[in-house]
Amino acid sequence: MAQAVATEARLGWRERISATPYFLLAPAIVALAAVSVYPLFYGIRASLEQYRYGREVGFAGLDNYRAVYHDETFWEALRVTLKFVVLAVTIETVLGLLLALLVARELRFAGSIRVGLILPMTIAPVVVGVIWRLLYASDIGVVNPLFSALGLEEPDVLAHTTSAFVGLVVVDVWEWTPLLFLILLAGVQGLPQEPLEAARVDGAGTMRVFFDHMLPLLRPVLLVAIVLRTIDAIGTFDQVFVLTRGGPGTATQLISIYGYNTAFRFSQYGQAAAMLLSLLAFMSILMVVAIRLMRRAAFGVESEA
Amino acid sequence: MRSAAPRIGLYSLLVGILLLTLFPFWWMIVTSLKRPVDIFAGVALWPQETTLDNYRVLFEQHHFRAFLVNSITIVAVSVGISLVLGTLAAYALTRFRLRLGLNDSALVGSLLVRMLPAILLVIPLYIVLSKYQLLDTRLGLILVYAGLNTSFVVWLMQSFLDEIPREIEEAALVDGDSRLSALRRVVLPLAAPGIAATAIFSVITTYNDFLLALTLTSTPDAQTVPVGVSTLIGKIQIEWGPMAAAGVVGALPIVIFALIVQRHFVRGLTLGAVK
Amino acid sequence: MARLEDRFDPRLTRRQLVERAAGVGAALSLGPLLAACGGDDDEGGDDGGKIVIGSFQDNALAPLRDVFFKRFTDETGIKVQYNETNYDTWYQNAKNDGRNKSGNYDVYILDDNWVPEFAAGGIIKNLDELGVKKNPDILAKGLDQGYWPPKSGPRLKDFENDDPALYALVIIDDVEILYYNKEHFPSAPKTWDDIYNGMKSKADPPKLYGWAARGVKGNPIVQTYLPLLNAYGGSFAEDDWKPGFAGPEGVAALERLFTFIPYMPSGVAAFDTDEETQPLLQGKCMALTEYTGLVHRIDDPASSQVVKKIDTAATPAQEKSGPAIGTFIAGIASAPPNEDGAKQFLEWFTSSEIQKAFARHDGSAAVTGSALRDAQASNKFRWLPSIADAVDNSVPKPRTPDEPKMEDILGTALNEALVEAISKKSGYTQIAQKHLTDAANETTSYLKQQGGYFGA
Repeated sequence: MAQAVATEARLGWRERISATPYFLLAPAIVALAAVSVYPLFYGIRASLEQYRYGREVGFAGLDNYRAVYHDETFWEALRVTLKFVVLAVTIETVLGLLLALLVARELRFAGSIRVGLILPMTIAPVVVGVIWRLLYASDIGVVNPLFSALGLEEPDVLAHTTSAFVGLVVVDVWEWTPLLFLILLAGVQGLPQEPLEAARVDGAGTMRVFFDHMLPLLRPVLLVAIVLRTIDAIGTFDQVFVLTRGGPGTATQLISIYGYNTAFRFSQYGQAAAMLLSLLAFMSILMVVAIRLMRRAAFGVESEA
Repeated sequence: MRSAAPRIGLYSLLVGILLLTLFPFWWMIVTSLKRPVDIFAGVALWPQETTLDNYRVLFEQHHFRAFLVNSITIVAVSVGISLVLGTLAAYALTRFRLRLGLNDSALVGSLLVRMLPAILLVIPLYIVLSKYQLLDTRLGLILVYAGLNTSFVVWLMQSFLDEIPREIEEAALVDGDSRLSALRRVVLPLAAPGIAATAIFSVITTYNDFLLALTLTSTPDAQTVPVGVSTLIGKIQIEWGPMAAAGVVGALPIVIFALIVQRHFVRGLTLGAVK
Repeated sequence: MARLEDRFDPRLTRRQLVERAAGVGAALSLGPLLAACGGDDDEGGDDGGKIVIGSFQDNALAPLRDVFFKRFTDETGIKVQYNETNYDTWYQNAKNDGRNKSGNYDVYILDDNWVPEFAAGGIIKNLDELGVKKNPDILAKGLDQGYWPPKSGPRLKDFENDDPALYALVIIDDVEILYYNKEHFPSAPKTWDDIYNGMKSKADPPKLYGWAARGVKGNPIVQTYLPLLNAYGGSFAEDDWKPGFAGPEGVAALERLFTFIPYMPSGVAAFDTDEETQPLLQGKCMALTEYTGLVHRIDDPASSQVVKKIDTAATPAQEKSGPAIGTFIAGIASAPPNEDGAKQFLEWFTSSEIQKAFARHDGSAAVTGSALRDAQASNKFRWLPSIADAVDNSVPKPRTPDEPKMEDILGTALNEALVEAISKKSGYTQIAQKHLTDAANETTSYLKQQGGYFGA
């Protein structure tokens, strides 16, 4: 009897607000705040100041923001970044999911296959840029001879606007699909098997099982993976810098490159801060939406189980 | 029972994908063994004349040993810290409904930290570290990375922990466990693949961070591998051979780490799978 | 519940925890262990004290790092601690150090287009006020790069009436010269027409290209363009800051580059230094213009297949020869721990004797006339007199902190024009005119927005 009462009291934990979770949460919050609060305020203040000769010389109010919003290059950079992120993350997610499903079964050499598949993301992004620049190079790269061997015209990938952009997407997909693969693999393997087995026993085909049963359960992990990858993709820098420097023209000039140049090469730190803070605000809105979606997914799963 | 054909198809597909994935890696290794004059001489799948000069240059002229040591130390400690902090926080966020909508705001907050562009971080962090004499020190970088990594550890782990049904812990609690030991004995093993994935991602992200390490360090006392790699990019010229060698050497610690951890990619238990 | 026992194995938990703890523990102890092993500080506690020199990494500075700092210590007793790092980082670190007067450095080695910002911002000291001796042997145009406000050319309004003072001393005369393969050009081509005629008659792409260039947007392609622009009578910026490249001279210069297209490698719009110089070093390119850094590779068998076959000359002329000048230049930090030591180093390194040794050491681009025209050095390193000629003919880039942005605007337009010209293969004049005009307009509006250039 006493046992049952204790169990009853215990089972009400989810509704009770206890002190323990705050202790578990606090260290992380402190760590996060320590690295973000001051930089955020510093950035906001910088965006309101005028920079000359590499230092702040006076209050600029919203001038920096005005200058940025009138800057056609800034909008162009945003457009390029948007195209790049949507394209790259979509392809990476689909490929990553396919690979995760393939590899999640029990295979021989599973360990080596998994490590082999994640190798691209273990290389420093700068080196990734360098290697692909060699691969794409017109006279000594591998891509040109490959195309001509297939009877196609040699593309000179980095020398033309569209091909350079596509080439960049290829590099990103090559480098980061492994990440999606990794996260989704963990997710797939974390799925409870009973509902899936039950569905199969009921006669559902592989596609039905996947779309109706696996995908909903995977939604939280999928959303997290996509959100994280999207944030990182928006900040892609090293590879692009080495590969094309943002060219040809502005075909691959992502906002990260333009922001970096503005802050550190043109010494317009205030304008760069205005650019990046605007981007941050925009991204925050997107992320809040993503979190709402995710919360609903989590509760959706709860009610099913 | 599955027939042989789909199996073969599956393996061929995987082999094909592996080849595509690994070819640039191979190219990097080959390039690292070529002399500078051969790198641009033409397309060669294997160097006409192999040389270890690029590696020699890397270690003798470019302090690469120091960079490796710094990187490994900094990454190990900061990732360790952030894994602990982040997992505990994620656990709190998924298992409890907190006051003031803290669940949502904590998640948004940690994501916000993740979204802060490095460009905005470098100068203020430079100023802060300078004030506490932590510039050009390993400790300084460790603290910065520990803080930044915690953001996505929280995010990743909360989704993996979410997958684990609450009933398991409840049973353990009923059996007399405290919350923390329930976490340790029950939840963590189940979350092992998630932790492994998070660990690898944290290690890679921290190891390859470029801008922060670049700004917050100035000598091989604390400079990391990416900083070392960047010194191979001059104002107008790249040292291609040593750069490829740096890519190979730089990737080794992570590959080794991945090999060690990859056992945990697979759940060590069968979750009622029926074959 | 039967399911629960199926689900977990306690042994796994403890093992994982132990592994993780061991890993962190090992790493934690590794840190202090290695810190104890490595890292020795140069203590300058001896008679001469020490100076700290910071720089960006570049092969041109290797002789200083390997030979001349030691020689300085031998001759003066002052130790040199040399820190070098990545270009962009050093730019920021030097600025931060100077602005905040942190006192981590005595001498900053700079890229010359940093001088306006560093001088105007008080990041480096006024060398004239410090009494630093200027060696009259230093070639004038190289020396001029260190003056603020500039002795010639357009000035920022804020500094219109100031007397030029020396803020940085040139240590390496990095300037553009013509490199040509003497198997294909028996005598040095003098004009751009000579170059074009030469490639028209002899080039045979892809076995032999007539020209190679840096086509990447921004700084690289601008360096390709400047010798042409200056030679045709145009300029980067006129004395009143109006762009000087959108007129007929600038268009003609760009058109001339376009006529080289059939004789250049097809991927030239994506070329940076290495892709550009490789054809030359492989014997597959007739000529190109580049900075002096290339001289160290043309006779190095590890990099070159045309040892002793490449000669140098001043960049081709049209109305005149007008190579761009770069220079490595050194300034004294705003809060140096050892100001006297810093002064001593600058005067020592730019002295005629040391510069001669510098030139004789490996044919580096010394800054004094006597070094560049030294018979002994020139015998061994045939390019030195060309460097001297190039410096004397050189045209400086506009002196303003906004120069990188101006370069980026022009460089993006040039790259877009090149890409269009390569794909369209005709209509060169219109293409050149359109992009150059766009660049001129964008530059002007940017300068107006920045303020301090035009009128009130």
